[in-house]
Amino acid sequence: MNKKLNTIKILNLTFTLTLTLLSLTGCYEHFPLKQDISRTQNKFLNQDSIEVKFPELVKGKITLMAMVYTHCPDICPMTTHNMQLAESKLSEKELDKVRFVVITFDPNRDKPEVLKKYGEIRDINFSRWNFLTGDEQNTKEVMLKFDVKAVPADSSYDADGNLSYYIIHTDRISLIDQDGVLRKNYVGSIADVNEIVNDIKYLLE
Amino acid sequence: MNLLLALLIFFSSPDDKIKIKEPWMRISAKGQTTALFMKIENTTDIPDTLYKVECDFVNRAEIHETYQKDDMMGMRQIPFIVIPPKSTFELKPRAHHIMLIKLKREIKKDDEGEITLFFKNAGKLTVKAKAQEMKMPKMEHKH
Repeated sequence: MNKKLNTIKILNLTFTLTLTLLSLTGCYEHFPLKQDISRTQNKFLNQDSIEVKFPELVKGKITLMAMVYTHCPDICPMTTHNMQLAESKLSEKELDKVRFVVITFDPNRDKPEVLKKYGEIRDINFSRWNFLTGDEQNTKEVMLKFDVKAVPADSSYDADGNLSYYIIHTDRISLIDQDGVLRKNYVGSIADVNEIVNDIKYLLE
Repeated sequence: MNLLLALLIFFSSPDDKIKIKEPWMRISAKGQTTALFMKIENTTDIPDTLYKVECDFVNRAEIHETYQKDDMMGMRQIPFIVIPPKSTFELKPRAHHIMLIKLKREIKKDDEGEITLFFKNAGKLTVKAKAQEMKMPKMEHKH
């Protein structure tokens, strides 16, 4: 009996010591992810057709990032809207250190002027937001980096013979810290905006 | 009051077989695509079917559903929606919606647009939908 009790005591002590060590060494993290995404850069055009590099574009800033396509009438607008809601819950001072990046995975249709219209209709503040479109190679590399999938699905031709297609895609908002490290992913269209805001504030502390 | 009465008549089929409640569409830019949502109430004892949608401010309107495959979301056209008797079917974000493809004009917040719905039993029904980014939660009034 005593032997059993001693074993339990030792196990308890080991567990407590492990937890203490983990918190002291910083291994017990607030965020589930710790993936440096700043080692490689990808070239894109922003909504004003200016060439930029991502993630260099948001260097030193906390960034909310999503990949969308503007022909999506349901999921992608909800994702964009949730990012905007998060923006609206932060103070001007906090927003100085936060940026918003939306990258299209449908660059054939989402040219800079299309992305600009998509942002303008939503009263996007372009001083904090960038809408990016790139070539196939750069788009694919970023998708791979963020584990975003986008596959063409149903398609049809309209009366004028124009091809219309939809894309089945990952529904995600990603949080990148000021050191260019991916820290957390949220389900974009149904993300808990308060959770995103609290995570941003945690990074700002 | 008169206006409210007029609106109620407007959103109902002549003999109230179908009632359309809370129609709204998502804001979108000219040339882009958006979605229309609403609640469709079938007040009759037999099922009714929404099989066609027409709208003069878009290139074409289709009945769609949003679906999930693993961790991905997609959408596809469906031929019709059946509204069971004495029940309400909701077209809502992340589910069934009317896809408004290639807008002929931009739809800003609070803009309105007319959409014609075709039902097998109730016939043709025209609704007026207001534009917003997301459906606003209903406010509770306490007196």
